[in-house]
Amino acid sequence: MSELLSSLLQDARVWQGHQHKKTTQPAEPTGYQSLDNQLGGLGWPKGALSECLLDSCGIGELHLVLPLMQRVSNEGKTIFWLNPPHTPYAPALAREGVNLDHVVMVTTQDQNDFLWTLENCLRSPVTGLVLAWPGTLASRDVRRLQLASEAGGNVCVLFRSRRHVEQNSPAALRLELVPDEHQKLKINIIKRRGSWPGQRCSLAIGHRANLASQDSTRVIQGPWAEAVR
Amino acid sequence: MLWLYLHFPHLLLDHIQRNQDATGALVIVDGSGQAVTQACATAQELGVEVGMRLKTALGLAPDLHIMQANPKQEVWLLEDQARWLYHYAAHITLAPPDGLWAEVSSLQKLYGGLPAIWQTLEQALTERQLTAWIAIGHTPQTARLLALTGKGECTDDKGRIMTALGNLPLQAAGFDKKACSRLQRLGLSTLADVFALPAPELARRLSPELLSTVQKIQGTRADPKTPWQPPHTFRHRADFIQEVEHTQGLLFSLQRILSELEEDLCWRQQDTDTLQISLQHRHQESTRLLIRTTGPEHRAEVFLKLIRLKLDQQPLSAPVTALTLTVKRFAGRAAPTGQDLLGESQDLNEAWHTLISRLQARLGDQALKQLAPSEDHRPECAWSANAVRKPTKQPETEPAPLPHRPLWLLKGPQSLDQTPTHWLSGPERISSGWWDGQRVHRDYYIAQLPGGELAWVFRDHQDGWFIHGWFG
Repeated sequence: MSELLSSLLQDARVWQGHQHKKTTQPAEPTGYQSLDNQLGGLGWPKGALSECLLDSCGIGELHLVLPLMQRVSNEGKTIFWLNPPHTPYAPALAREGVNLDHVVMVTTQDQNDFLWTLENCLRSPVTGLVLAWPGTLASRDVRRLQLASEAGGNVCVLFRSRRHVEQNSPAALRLELVPDEHQKLKINIIKRRGSWPGQRCSLAIGHRANLASQDSTRVIQGPWAEAVR
Repeated sequence: MLWLYLHFPHLLLDHIQRNQDATGALVIVDGSGQAVTQACATAQELGVEVGMRLKTALGLAPDLHIMQANPKQEVWLLEDQARWLYHYAAHITLAPPDGLWAEVSSLQKLYGGLPAIWQTLEQALTERQLTAWIAIGHTPQTARLLALTGKGECTDDKGRIMTALGNLPLQAAGFDKKACSRLQRLGLSTLADVFALPAPELARRLSPELLSTVQKIQGTRADPKTPWQPPHTFRHRADFIQEVEHTQGLLFSLQRILSELEEDLCWRQQDTDTLQISLQHRHQESTRLLIRTTGPEHRAEVFLKLIRLKLDQQPLSAPVTALTLTVKRFAGRAAPTGQDLLGESQDLNEAWHTLISRLQARLGDQALKQLAPSEDHRPECAWSANAVRKPTKQPETEPAPLPHRPLWLLKGPQSLDQTPTHWLSGPERISSGWWDGQRVHRDYYIAQLPGGELAWVFRDHQDGWFIHGWFG
């Protein structure tokens, strides 16, 4: 009995609020030290769902998973992109060091196909990372996906709208992504296993647009700014 | 030389009954649809006999299932039998419409005597639920005549065979009607009587053709049989007496066909990646299904899973009367390579093929894409989407220097309807494509929109502003 209890405490499925113990759940480092620190030194949980909640594309959400993409693709595991909202731009991915041979883009027609595909990808041992844009998901479906990802032990990141922040979700990690004015990405941790939520951090990913510094004077300011409606 | 002849008295009937789970009285009628040519056991119990008119048969058994014989199909069926027999014997000759010769004297050492060959064949026939009459003779014709009358014995004793042959009535010898009646008028009734006649007399009084037939039976005239070569395709057909309306019914017979395919592929030491399935309907064009696996495969259960997925996606448009499975593409089975000590890479390789095949079978081939950069200055042409293929280990090559680009590219430029808050870099002029009619003449900037997104915007030569990508 006590053995059962201690094993439950050990892998952080039951945790005590006053203890900040290191958990033993498997994870992949995010590649950003400040975010890893906020996530208890672990990173993206393996064998569990992660959710990124954001308003619109272009705030650096792909750069958040880029270090993981580089690592996974160079290990020879497959990365699946499920129903991305735009085209992942191959020259940019190649430039960032992602091995495109291991990137597979899947588009599905309806929600049933989407769930089926995601479940199959998650259960397969060849998968390293799944990035999915599910649209609307019933909480029952999220639970089913959570079970599938537990079976496969892969990292799965769902990109969903910030409307779902208030809803509860079985995902193991939930991050709210908000851009700030200086091309940084502010991350609020809404939920994570093994600890209190509520940590915040801010990642400087201005380099994604090749901006070494906030030097906007080098842009040729022309009359065309007025041409914009 | 010793020849073995297999006579299939009701091949079509066996073939059809094999594909049905429920059996009722069934008869095969000839091409004109008038007379019964083959009748199953249930039908015979009801009083239906071979040679009976169809109307009479229907009077005896009102719910009789009827199948019309098709000469083309009989040829295919016989080839099917030759294909499995080829696993046991090398020199096979077809005797249309319902017989096969196999040369067995060279096999005795391999199998350890004639009884062993006989037993092996009988076992194979039982496995395939086929009825065949087997006979052995020293000439092809002897074996055939004995098999046709069902007097075959497992012996290589020439005396015994000749006695059995000699006792055959003249009608069973396959002479033409005229010769037969003339011989009977001469007072001859068995083959032994004909053999006793001197050859020159036979040729002079009757006909040279008759003599040649007799000599071929006796073995004094050459009767070469050209060996049959198995075709380099696999083709299997299942006919249904009752139309199949649900996929479950198709899967039942597909399962058997696929296990035969697996056996055939194992025996050839080959794999395949494409199966063609054609479903025949009564009143409309047949439906064709193409099942593709991403890698070479031979296992029946894998094919069955893919077919099940495909059929789930594509419901039957009409009831199915027949099903044909054809395999034309074969690939030599690759020796397992690149296997490490723990044997892991082989499993992963297989898992990759399984996953991709499954996804393609359900979503369609177009749903899965791999991306690659291509050499063009125009952003919309600088990438391509290709069919998925297994990544191979390539030597690390230094990637060509690529310009800085956003991770998201919009499917088409969107007009910019917000004033950006920050202009971060630019302009980068891209002017290209004058040679193929898709001229691009743009100045690209990186700008931050009020929502905080970093956009890749451009101004075209008409001063219109568009968003072309997001720095995700």
